[in-house]
Order: sequence, then C-alpha cells, then structure tokens
Amino acid sequence: METPQYVAARVQRALAEDDRTNELGIRVDVRGDQVYLRGQVPCDERRHLIEAVAREAAPGLTVHNEIRLLEVHEPGEEEHL
Amino acid sequence: MNALRVAAVADIHLGEDLRGHYRKTLAGIEERADVLLVGGDLTRHGTFEEGRLVADELGGLPIPVVAVLGNHDYHSDADQEIIAVLRDAGITVLDDDAVTIPLNGVRLGVAGGKGFGGGFAGKCASEFGEPETKAFVRHTKEIAERWRLALKGLDADTKVVLSHYSPVKDTLLGEPPEIYPFLGSYLLAEAADAEGADLIVHGHAHSGTEKGITPGGIRVRNVALPVIEHAYVVYCLDGEGVH
Repeated sequence: METPQYVAARVQRALAEDDRTNELGIRVDVRGDQVYLRGQVPCDERRHLIEAVAREAAPGLTVHNEIRLLEVHEPGEEEHL
Repeated sequence: MNALRVAAVADIHLGEDLRGHYRKTLAGIEERADVLLVGGDLTRHGTFEEGRLVADELGGLPIPVVAVLGNHDYHSDADQEIIAVLRDAGITVLDDDAVTIPLNGVRLGVAGGKGFGGGFAGKCASEFGEPETKAFVRHTKEIAERWRLALKGLDADTKVVLSHYSPVKDTLLGEPPEIYPFLGSYLLAEAADAEGADLIVHGHAHSGTEKGITPGGIRVRNVALPVIEHAYVVYCLDGEGVH
C-alpha cells in the first residue's frame, strides 16, 4: 500500500491545482485506505467537485466527504476600535 | 471628528455557481457602513469572466467599494484585466497604492494591495541563495516598500491598510504553523508600523482568527469569509487619529 502521507499530499495538491477546484483550504487526512476531506465551501456544487477530484487522485481508496457548507449570516454587531 | 463605519470582507471566491448570492447579502449595507473594503480572493480561478461577475456583484453599491486582489485572482494571468473590469464598475482597486475618500467630513485613506508571503520575524525567508528564493523574498520587500511610501503620501484623517496576505501571526491562529510563510509576512506590518495606520484588514487565512495586533500596536483583522461567517463585519473607527 502507498504511504498515506504521499496520498494525502497528492490529493491536496490535486485540489489546489485542478482547474475544476483550485481549492487550497481543504484538509486531507488518510488513515489506511480511508481518505477524509474536511473544510468549508460556499456551495454544494463545489463540495461535490472536490470529492470527485479527490477520488481521481486516490483511486481505490474510500473518500469521506466531511466538508461542510459555509453559512453566511447577516452582518452582526459592529466593533468599535 | 465623526466616526467612520468600515465594512470589510475577504475571500468571497465568487464564481458562476454563486452568481447573485453574495450581492443579496449586501442589501441595506448603506444603513450599516460608510465604505466596503474587500481584501482579495474575489474569484476562484482568476479568470476575466469571474472578474466580470465580481464587478456585477460589487458594482453600483450605494457606498464606495475599495478592493485588492488575492492569489486566486492571479491564477489565470488575468489580474490586470480583472482590475480594469472592476474599475469600470466604479470599484477602487488598490495595487500597491492608496486612495483618499471623503466620508462624513472625514478623509479616509486606504493603502495596500495583494501583499505576499515570506514568514514572520525569526522564522522567515531571507534574500539569499538561489535566484528563486531571492525573487520570492524580494517581491514581498518591494511590496512593503511601496506600501510604506503609499502610507507616507496619504493626507488623511484615518488610515486603513487593505491586504490579502496577513501582516501578523496572530490572525493565523488555527492554520498549520508550517504554512505561515505562505500566508503572510512581517514586512507588511513593519511598513504600516513605520508610517502609522488605524487598522489593517486582510484575508487569505480561511482557518485563522479574526483579531490581532502588529508589534507597533495597529489592530489587525482577518476578515476571510470562513473566519467571520457573516456577509461582512463593520469596524467603527472613532476618529482618535493615527497611532
């Protein structure tokens, strides 16, 4: 089996460099043959694209998409500086 | 002197899949703020088409908008075209320079640009060795010097620095320390501390922390959308003058 650290690095690099994603903010952890994706994105379409690119970069491994959708709230209280 | 309400956000990463969404969250911003600062990573891939979409989303607001680009906005080598389309939409885009905007009888000066990395004092790259390393460090040094000059030349009552990269480590808390050199540089803070400013606003560090301070005492705020989790935050500068 390929060393997990190299798999994680390859997936992370693919997410950053693949033009479908260009995503730098996703954490990738590999444990055995399981890949875990964590982070936040603003829409479901991006979440699915990230998973697709990760699957291509880690063939034969199980990808767990734990990325959550970024919820943007109404502006809150102002801060006085 | 009247207080200024500065709205700020960064890392909105707009694309066709988000068309119309961010604009909706800006409804009524004129009730809450006098100016909107946008700290880079306006797009996801840095294409001209995405730049035009950002111009549609941020253009025509009832308050002035000042923006800088981020690293994503450079990815497709269309940075100058993006800057042009944003300016055509009435958005002020800083590219290592400054602007003064009269608001409520107060002259707000905003200086800045994208910024760059290199790391923080004691744990940073030096202009030494291979040409690639020297070019990396020199890029940040040159940016910092242009910011220093831009700040020095500002004739304003209140001064804000707008950046994409971080000037301090404080607001990176939550990011892996190994990548700090790619998230910012102390040279940016040093330039602001040398000339004085009331606030530095940046983005880039999605897993970072909102609040920090430079060694010279200037308040720093990381307004990356995933950090603030609001459409924007509003900082009220009460007009005590430049630190």
